[in-house]
Amino acid sequence: MSERPESYEAAVERLEEIIDRLDSGQAGLRETLDLCKEGKELVNYCAAELDEVGEGLKELRLDDLAAKLEASPGVN
Amino acid sequence: MGTALEESRLNLPGPFAVGAYARKLQEEMRKRARVQLIGEVTGIGRSKVQAYFELRDGDGAVPCAIWLNDLEKAGLTEGALRDGAEVVIAGGPDYYPGGGQASPSFCFRATDVRLAGEGDLIARLEALRKQLRSEGLFELQKQLRRPRLPKTIGVVTAETGAARRDLLAGLERRGWAGELIWAFAPVQDRRAAPAIAMAIQDLAARPEVEAIVVTRGGGSLADLWAFCDETLCRTVAMLRVPVVSAVGHERDSTLIDDVAAVACSTPTHAAEAAVPLDCLAARESLERCALALRRAGEGAIDIRSRHLVHLARGPARALQRERGKLNQKIREIRAASERGLSQRVSSQQRIGTVVLERARRRAAGADLEKRREALRQAMVTLRAHEPERTLERGYALVEGEVGEPVTSAAAAAAAAGVKLRFADGRVQARTEGDVERET
Repeated sequence: MSERPESYEAAVERLEEIIDRLDSGQAGLRETLDLCKEGKELVNYCAAELDEVGEGLKELRLDDLAAKLEASPGVN
Repeated sequence: MGTALEESRLNLPGPFAVGAYARKLQEEMRKRARVQLIGEVTGIGRSKVQAYFELRDGDGAVPCAIWLNDLEKAGLTEGALRDGAEVVIAGGPDYYPGGGQASPSFCFRATDVRLAGEGDLIARLEALRKQLRSEGLFELQKQLRRPRLPKTIGVVTAETGAARRDLLAGLERRGWAGELIWAFAPVQDRRAAPAIAMAIQDLAARPEVEAIVVTRGGGSLADLWAFCDETLCRTVAMLRVPVVSAVGHERDSTLIDDVAAVACSTPTHAAEAAVPLDCLAARESLERCALALRRAGEGAIDIRSRHLVHLARGPARALQRERGKLNQKIREIRAASERGLSQRVSSQQRIGTVVLERARRRAAGADLEKRREALRQAMVTLRAHEPERTLERGYALVEGEVGEPVTSAAAAAAAAGVKLRFADGRVQARTEGDVERET
């Protein structure tokens, strides 16, 4: 996998395809190793995505964000 | 231009006195059919004799007034006629011509008023629903892609209340702990719908917001009426960010539920709809995938390396097999050969034996005679050498005590006694003196 997946769901979908292909036992050695490499990268990507929403809830208020936006220089 | 104006002036009736016209207008207005209107009360105020307000909905408004004695007869509870109340009024248009000091005014003169009931609201809701559906506004949000794992979610709800708490609990149960942007807004009065619509638009304007949840707890349809607001619902329908609505309880059905991407019965369900992926289960699933990949990779190499080893052993095995076959053949040949030789030898031996036997039998007669003659000769020779023959001729044999021959003078001198053996027997003898040497 040379490109970053479009989304988590796209990554999972591709990962399922890879596992199905490997389970079929029809992939040759080169293909198997390539699929394993791609799958591992997808797993790492998904794990990183899950980590982003697993390290503690961050609560913000829209009012505060709007106020900050108005106060920040360079805006308007 | 001036000519046309003059002509039109000439063609119009009048001029009439304005006071008379005003009274005539009042008469005409009061002739209009009496009807019922439904809408929201805004700008309520009271004078000594009447209450006045505007009755409005999303499309327009009418100024209304009701005499206080009519209001009293209507039987509303104290304070029920207030801003934000959904009411049904009965009456007709009226015109106050004014006077020397008082300004003229138009109003809908209500003679009766009641709070809008569930039935009234449902009827309005259904009309609105029909309208929005016919415009295809129910489908727009449902066509949007909803991310399974949003990182930022916007939430529009009341700052206090169970909905906020339930939503947080639902997200926690999902194992989701990303970024939440709260947009707190009133959820139950005439200010609610515009405030909610603005909050939704502001959230949707933030690029990081991937889904928006609009939620509040249960209540009567009148309580939830803000979520049936046409402007709010049109705003939601046109939004490019998916909206998850969870307004009221399962039995409550508001218009925002129809236009939203997903309608949920509770804030907890809204959390699940906003984050379709169960993060806890996804982590476990991901671990299983990683394990399957590792096994597949290692297994593929292992199976093939075993296959290679098997293939590598193939020639040796084939050779061994052939060698075994060859050895077997050799054994068989050898066995066959030995069997053949043995048979031939045995046959030859049998033949030889027969031949020899025949030869022996043939030679046996002459040979026996020769041997007998030789034997006779040998016996003659042997007898010639016997000591007895010598003794018979007068010689004696000197023997020791035990019969051993004494063959020298020294031995005879040394012996204590000797025996002299003659042809006819032995006699004891004694030696004396030293040895006399022959000269």
